[in-house]
Amino acid sequence: MNKVFVTAIVKDVPAEEYGHYLPPMKARRMGKLQKRALVTALKAMEISGVGEPDAILNGTAMGCMENTVQMLSGLASEGEEVNMPTCFMQSTHNTVASMIAIYTKNHGYNTTYSHRTISFELALQDALLRLRTGRLRTALVCANDELTALQLQNPDFFGQLEVCDRSESWMLSVEPGKTPLYELENVQIIHKKGVEDRAVIQLKPL
Amino acid sequence: MRPKVVITGMGVVSALGVGVDANATALMQGISGIRTARYLPTDHLEFPVGEVPMDNEECRRMLALPPGRPYSRTHLLGALAVREALEQSKLLDHNGLALISGTTVGGMDVTESLFPEPLPEGMPDVPDCGASTNDIADTFGCFDYTSSVSTACSSAMNALIMGKLLIESGERDIVVAGGSEALSLFHLNGFKSLMILDRERCRPFDKTRAGLNLGEGAAYLVLESETSALNRGAEILAVLSGAGNACDAYHQTASSDDGEGAYLAMTQALQDANLSPRDIQYVNAHGTGTPNNDASESAAIRRVFGENLPPVSSTKSYTGHTTSASGSIETAFCLMAMKYGFIPAQCEFENTDEQCVVPVSKSNTSNADLSYVMCNAFGFGGNDSSIILSRYE
Repeated sequence: MNKVFVTAIVKDVPAEEYGHYLPPMKARRMGKLQKRALVTALKAMEISGVGEPDAILNGTAMGCMENTVQMLSGLASEGEEVNMPTCFMQSTHNTVASMIAIYTKNHGYNTTYSHRTISFELALQDALLRLRTGRLRTALVCANDELTALQLQNPDFFGQLEVCDRSESWMLSVEPGKTPLYELENVQIIHKKGVEDRAVIQLKPL
Repeated sequence: MRPKVVITGMGVVSALGVGVDANATALMQGISGIRTARYLPTDHLEFPVGEVPMDNEECRRMLALPPGRPYSRTHLLGALAVREALEQSKLLDHNGLALISGTTVGGMDVTESLFPEPLPEGMPDVPDCGASTNDIADTFGCFDYTSSVSTACSSAMNALIMGKLLIESGERDIVVAGGSEALSLFHLNGFKSLMILDRERCRPFDKTRAGLNLGEGAAYLVLESETSALNRGAEILAVLSGAGNACDAYHQTASSDDGEGAYLAMTQALQDANLSPRDIQYVNAHGTGTPNNDASESAAIRRVFGENLPPVSSTKSYTGHTTSASGSIETAFCLMAMKYGFIPAQCEFENTDEQCVVPVSKSNTSNADLSYVMCNAFGFGGNDSSIILSRYE
């Protein structure tokens, strides 16, 4: 069984750094979340020195909400005359993980978890088990969510779910590399009826 | 040695009916469930759909759920399929099970019926993927681990693949995995916007194919370590022997010409099962009926199997494209094919397309003793997956 190390954690990349990772020409056609998610992923790849991870996993509580709300608004105002192809194809929850793969031409294992507040932890557990058992050597695990104006006005618009407006990327590897941050020991998932699902990430500082 | 993952239960709900028997009978008799929409409140009756032949109220009563709150159809269909799977595997009174469910639409049917009004205060959460999975789980109360996979049309298959991993790595003995997806105006109008809906019944791999028909449904399989199944005396239906997942990394909605992602997924599934392409006796293709998918998938199948193409068919001309649930519904169809010894013949196919494989249809249908079967599911963003089922010996 392999040990699994966290070799990079990136969050809240300042906007002035975006240009370093993403040419403005390419960024122009992307939504806010897509841009932020991609830049965060690319920075984690740069810091860890792993440009081609064996896998890309994402966790998202609500998915691509800007596009989802736009499509819903279109349906509400225009009825079924609505015609929003781009919005629809970028509304699915897996848009971000596949976009990172398309941008970096990565054919590796690719998946997305969308399970409320423990979406990232489920992605982390998937990667951990694959790394531990030798199916992967490296994995990029991300967390991405965005809040729309609707949710900022009324946080319970789509139900009582605490969504964090964030992009975060972790690089995991079976090699500690030069500057490992933690050893990832375990991820535990707990479901109980009537209580919000919980997850426990066990990290050993190095 | 990693533990062998066996299947000890299945439950299916689709346009072919509620339950394994109704679905198997329709598949063997060649009767499609695709027709004009009856329950989805759409104006677009020109696009036929594969609807589960029951309204929400009938589903609620079948499940003996209390009235007076909104239920998403994804929850109701999912719970019906999970219940059948648990019953078959004699697990209804069991505790400590895991549920992994694939969905993208989740409770969108509820959200879109209210929008632009928010969900009423004091109502249980229904719209997001996780809430719909937890609703399914809590219909029973035997689950202490729940997870939702959302990779568009490969969601349910990736749920099966994660279930296999949890058992192989010793984390869990029993995982109920699959997916559920109800029709919604949101994705019907989305697919309409992409101009890939056919006004006729879909014809996967046919030269005249003009798109897909949307469908809905749910299917769940009980995955279990061989040791656990033998200790419980559970009936073993088959072995989940191989799994592959790769990204086409080509385009958000289109598939590459050479089907690289699909090719890699199928190749990995063969390696994982320790089988060669010659061993596979039937491929249940993703085969949506869109010009792009079927050509790309055919290219990938030809790359994997070369001159020795096994029989291939798409069952989407029976159920429509059940999107996130298709991976587990079609895996369940493969289990039925293995059990009853037949290859599901496409109910719509006439014109051979040079770009495509020639599927098994009513004109060349045959009985078959199947030991190794492959099933494909591909999603937007090039999220391509493939699994292999083997006869248990």
